[in-house]
Amino acid sequence: MVDILHEIEAAVPALRRYARALTRDFDRADDLVQDCLERALAKRGLFPPKGPVRAWLFTILVNVHRNSLRGSRRRGEVVDFADIPEPSVPAPQPGHMALAELDRAIGMLPHEQKEALLLVTLEGLPYAEAAAILDIPLGTLMSRLGRARAALKTLTGTPSEPHLRTVK
Amino acid sequence: MSEITRDTLMAYADGALTPAERADVDAYLADHADAAAEVALMQRQANAIRTLYGPVAAEPVPPRLSVEKLLQSREKRRSQIWTRAAAAVVLVGLGLGSGWLLRGQVDTPDIADRLIADAVSAHTVYVLENRHAVEVNGDDSEHLSSWLSNRLQTTLAMPDLSASGLAFLGGRLLPAPNVPGGRAAQLMYEDTTGARLTLYVTPSPGPNTPTYELANLGLDTALFWADAAISCTITAPYPAEKLQAIARTVFSQLNPTLTDYRT
Repeated sequence: MVDILHEIEAAVPALRRYARALTRDFDRADDLVQDCLERALAKRGLFPPKGPVRAWLFTILVNVHRNSLRGSRRRGEVVDFADIPEPSVPAPQPGHMALAELDRAIGMLPHEQKEALLLVTLEGLPYAEAAAILDIPLGTLMSRLGRARAALKTLTGTPSEPHLRTVK
Repeated sequence: MSEITRDTLMAYADGALTPAERADVDAYLADHADAAAEVALMQRQANAIRTLYGPVAAEPVPPRLSVEKLLQSREKRRSQIWTRAAAAVVLVGLGLGSGWLLRGQVDTPDIADRLIADAVSAHTVYVLENRHAVEVNGDDSEHLSSWLSNRLQTTLAMPDLSASGLAFLGGRLLPAPNVPGGRAAQLMYEDTTGARLTLYVTPSPGPNTPTYELANLGLDTALFWADAAISCTITAPYPAEKLQAIARTVFSQLNPTLTDYRT
């Protein structure tokens, strides 16, 4: 029981990173993580995870996020006018310019493509693990990844993407 | 060498290939500049995504996400939650029964009463539907049987009530918060006059339930029955005697291993 708490604690930074990329919103991301952790802590006694704790937590986070999308679609999203023209990442340097553009492009991806792409690229998870977390077949995962990448390519400009070369 | 598809290139870029597969792709990329550019782009995208969001993991974790803090506030809330949850269960149970629970003394309803309430609510809602009365049509009763059996984690046959003049319309899956597993199956039948009968089947709610209960609900009659494997509530606009006769056919078909059912 103590071990699992340690493992949960250790996964928090990665959960925050994934949630931030999913929502591109500091507070909403941490709300999701908090919701995820509360569920995990409530469930750990009755339904201890069968596999790795990390994958279990990501599964909960994905579900919490999907639920929140369903909820916000019903209510409609509140958008601050100040948020519309400018992305959250400042653009003081040419390299950052490309990143800001990428950030905006990721925000425009359909959420099922976004959650797949970020698990594989940002979190570096193997395909099989990502597919299990998202509860989709491997083939579906790969087609979502493919579509997400094609969309990013279009959204961030020219196919050759020269400006991304400035990024390490 | 197997065929190099776009998916193969993507798996290569994501490091998802075996060493042998990687070697194949390496050889392919040496001769195909466009494919190599494609792979490079995918890798740049992934790198850029990590550069963009990776630093979040290095930020200090805010106190509200500390596991220790969350555990403490959980302990604090626990006693309150139990009290509220108990009250909520009673209220939900009371609300559902369309008057059934309000007969006589109002007390904490037992599980049989709550299941009858759920069954009657579901019956009332769905028998009024024409085109959407069922989720899966009765024509495909084999699929329906395996689907609902899986969901309820119990073997569930689709009873044939044609001998009682009832045609099978189909079934649907419903939430059932009062039973383990949280799911119920509703099967719907229709007689020649258009009157409809539903079976509301759940996994067994536990050993402490009465095996048999009959409820008169004005127009409808509901008959509840539970054994070690399942519970079933039959609801129809029929008098009690007619429903009991149908019930015998239902139970012998729903659970052929238990032959000792008697009303």
